Amino acid sequence: MKHFTNRYMLLYSLALVAVLAVVLSVTAVALKPREERNRQIEQQQMILKTIGLECAKSETAQAYDRHITEAQCDGQTYYRYDCDGRQGIILPLHGTGLWGPIWGYLALDCSDNVVGAVFDHKGETPGLGGEIATDKFAQRFVGKCMDEHPIYLIKNADKKNPYQVDAISGGTMTSNGVTQMLEEGYFDYVKIKENTAK
Amino acid sequence: MKNWKLITMPFDKENPITVQVLGICSCLAVTAQLKPALVMAVSVTVVVALANLIISLLRKSIPPRIRIIVQLVVVSTLVVLVDLFLKAFVYDVSKQLSVFVGLIITNCIVMGRLEAFAMTNPPLPSLCDGIGNGLGYGIILVALGTVRELFGSGTLLGYPVMEKIGAYSIGYENNGLMIMPPMALILVGLIIWAQRSRNKNMQGK
Repeated sequence: MKHFTNRYMLLYSLALVAVLAVVLSVTAVALKPREERNRQIEQQQMILKTIGLECAKSETAQAYDRHITEAQCDGQTYYRYDCDGRQGIILPLHGTGLWGPIWGYLALDCSDNVVGAVFDHKGETPGLGGEIATDKFAQRFVGKCMDEHPIYLIKNADKKNPYQVDAISGGTMTSNGVTQMLEEGYFDYVKIKENTAK
Repeated sequence: MKNWKLITMPFDKENPITVQVLGICSCLAVTAQLKPALVMAVSVTVVVALANLIISLLRKSIPPRIRIIVQLVVVSTLVVLVDLFLKAFVYDVSKQLSVFVGLIITNCIVMGRLEAFAMTNPPLPSLCDGIGNGLGYGIILVALGTVRELFGSGTLLGYPVMEKIGAYSIGYENNGLMIMPPMALILVGLIIWAQRSRNKNMQGK
């Protein structure tokens, strides 16, 4: 068998890793703009979904421009929608689940009722915490209220209680993350309302 | 001719999933629908083929003591590249495949082919062997994806086949079990059964 010295092995690994690193960085930088655009379209699709509009990729930007305007409050971005005579605020939410970031959008009408919600996550367990990304879960928020109290997730929620939403069984940590995120969202929402009232 | 055989052998007698029983995990996970199954099949084929080619080209210069690490670095690079391309060109599918693209790195088929073939064979046969094994894996994935999506969701690549042929109006219902991972395992079992009863020399004594 051919003999390889330690020096050779070391230099070999260094050279290999350096070459591959260059290949990876060049590709990553070259493809970045495309990926960013995909992300942006996905975000717009999520926002439109909260007000019940599901758009194909090609129509998203147009629908978004027509119905959604971005607004600022205390350096935070939020959105206003205007669609078929319905108007209100779309509140962005950011939080942490069990394994990584979770986020979502809540669409509210002018009397603080939730008209639509959508959630997504980076890496929650599929089938458990990952369920927050399903329509079934998002649907539970419709009709809930954010007037005087944040919405929170709880086991066996009382359907008539406007602040309670049924949590995910087997996804307690993720559910807690969602509750936390909704609480922070509620304070943002109060601030936005105060700002617009002025 | 010999190279052609290297490509076609893994379709049947040397199939990585049904004969070597490798790569089962991802095969259960990504075949609930046809589209992710197809993308996964192409991704794995590209990774195995290129990894085989690169390792085969380097094989004489790789010190045996660090060969596994060298293989892993090459495979990881290829997988990250595939991941970047998926995110840039088929974003929704890349979200569906999520962690499974990254897990191609640990797919036993890839490392298995590198160790068993590419380390000791010239580049062209290695490339063929990689393509063959990737496609052999792909065939099973596509077969599973077709059956599971058609009977589980009533669609094929998102096209509502069952609705168009009017199956629902005569009382047909989708089988929810089809889209659960265990059903993929059962289907793989059925394929293995069919394949072994056809090939007498594959049967255990």
